[in-house]
Amino acid sequence: MEMFSVAIGNVFNPACLALIWAGTMLGIIFGSIPGLSATMAVVLFLPMTFSMEPTMGLALLVGLYMGGISGGLISAILLKIPGTPSSISTVFDGGPMADKGQAGRALGVGILASGIGSLIGIVALIFISPLLAKVCLLFSAADYFGVAVFSLTIIASLSGKDMLKGLLAGLLGIALSMVGMAPVDAELRFIFGNYQLMAGFDITVLLIGVFAVTDIIQAGLNRRHLADGFEKKKFHLKGYGLSVKEFITQIPNFLISSVIGIAIGILPGIGGSTGGLMAYTAEKNRSKYPEKFGTGIIDGVIASETANNAVIGGSMVPLLCMGIPGNTVAAIFLGGLTVHGISPGPLIFDKSAQYVYGIYLALIVSTIFMVVFERLGLPIFAKLLDIPKHILLPIIMVMCCVGAFSSNSRVFDVQCVLVFGLIGLVMKVFKMPTTPLIIGFILGPMFEENLRRALQASHGSWSVFVTRPICCAFLIAAVVFCTWTVRNNLKAKKIAETQGQSFDTAEEEG
Amino acid sequence: MTNKQRDILCSAVFLVFGTAMFYFSLGIAHKIESDVGSAYVPKFIAICILIVSSAKLLLTLRDHSASGKKKDAAQNDWLGGLGTIGLMMAYMLALQPVGFILSSIAYLFAQIMLMSNRENRKPVLFAVISIALPIAVYGLFNYVIKMPLPRGILGF
Repeated sequence: MEMFSVAIGNVFNPACLALIWAGTMLGIIFGSIPGLSATMAVVLFLPMTFSMEPTMGLALLVGLYMGGISGGLISAILLKIPGTPSSISTVFDGGPMADKGQAGRALGVGILASGIGSLIGIVALIFISPLLAKVCLLFSAADYFGVAVFSLTIIASLSGKDMLKGLLAGLLGIALSMVGMAPVDAELRFIFGNYQLMAGFDITVLLIGVFAVTDIIQAGLNRRHLADGFEKKKFHLKGYGLSVKEFITQIPNFLISSVIGIAIGILPGIGGSTGGLMAYTAEKNRSKYPEKFGTGIIDGVIASETANNAVIGGSMVPLLCMGIPGNTVAAIFLGGLTVHGISPGPLIFDKSAQYVYGIYLALIVSTIFMVVFERLGLPIFAKLLDIPKHILLPIIMVMCCVGAFSSNSRVFDVQCVLVFGLIGLVMKVFKMPTTPLIIGFILGPMFEENLRRALQASHGSWSVFVTRPICCAFLIAAVVFCTWTVRNNLKAKKIAETQGQSFDTAEEEG
Repeated sequence: MTNKQRDILCSAVFLVFGTAMFYFSLGIAHKIESDVGSAYVPKFIAICILIVSSAKLLLTLRDHSASGKKKDAAQNDWLGGLGTIGLMMAYMLALQPVGFILSSIAYLFAQIMLMSNRENRKPVLFAVISIALPIAVYGLFNYVIKMPLPRGILGF
């Protein structure tokens, strides 16, 4: 309780509230402009938080995450282009609603649904995290190894249509994490005489490279179409466009979509786009009028927007309790936590309780800011969609360099950003998902350290991974999940072949 | 490039990467007796990469339906792509010796010009943005956030 009052004092002061507000607004802008994303927003602003007090820094990141996910609905409805991958399913009904002259209503309902989804996700985070942390206290090194293997398998399987490419991306991420000092004995590996590599690659640098620089190079490849105009719908909105009666009839939709979003958030490596799509499909299947989905009804917008924002709370659960990020934005958060000396894990509630409560409060405040100011600022956010990409993207590139430089104050990191940008580009050419690369990079050290510690404790006996029930359960789950995914992939391929279509292994990433 | 060619190339790149990783793992010293050593996991990951990429290669070669359609390479503007990479390289190499402000001004102007087309090219506006933004960012980081950026030849 004492820690909670410290957290209240840290969050509810003018400077921190201003940072949450600024983060939420910037997040909405990044989320709403196609080509920029919530991930990019959090990545670019992460280095600026290094010099801040931990709660303030984390509060800014929380605002960016929250606003970034919600902002995607603005362009999804007005331009029929999802501003972030999370809003893909918002286009299905938001677009047709705009065509029917109900763009304002779609926007209002979407903002409200984002707020409700976020709040339900935060409540789940507050209740599930301490329980999961208690369970995690029972985990040994071998069990953590099992968790790492399971997480890597699930990420590789779910982040694209082609499991083998997902696995290769994850393995590449682990390989990159091995550059520099090894865990346990601090032996130097793969540094090829370059002392700058001794500390290994910084997660911020990898993220900026793969998520921002790759996109800018791709924009260069596509520069002839950068100025292509899209027809922007006009909107008119009173309140949130939803009557009390409509709100009551949509309560089951809010609840079911939130639960789906939270569950997807907790699973490692899959993000808001999958959450939104699954909730949309579930709501369509549950509906009494499934034929109306896709023609422009609020049910579809609510399902998608509630779920993608509920993912936020869900993705924080494994992050705080085990140090395993639920998606890429949570992965950047992990960087933010460790920079401020907060170690995620089962002991986080004992060692850094005030910061955890600070994150909870910042999430709630940011949700309120988002619902109020996204609605009030709609005309401005809609106007910002007109910013020309040929000016915006080079500015983002300069900010990427600033971000990479500030992470360690060395130009070497800026140069690494370009290398990772090129790796990201090659992965895009090969149609490989990039999320497993990031999660592999984060889970690599956890995988190695726990494997080595478990083997040390068991005097080199591998039976420890089978005799420990928790580890054994995770390893069996990994095998079952792998088999299930391979079976599903083969089935989909067979169906595609019988229908005379080629089975494209292109990525579908959240 | 067809889907099949793309997947074969992808597998080949990872086969080479896995082999190189395994080769370089052989030189990692073993320090602690009771430990499996720092070379153990890199070797294991390298072998996994080799197995998965071999499996991908075999599956792709056996799959006759995966040829797919040829994507039109002309869709990509290679001058724009390679120009962007070249400008980024020059910017990153110039950052330390020339300093943040000057290198950013030059990069921003060149990159905006490269990405714009005849209809929306406004050199005066681009020049104003290219000069104002780096100065503002430098001021913010140097004097507000107190995180100095590379100074270079100007020394400020």
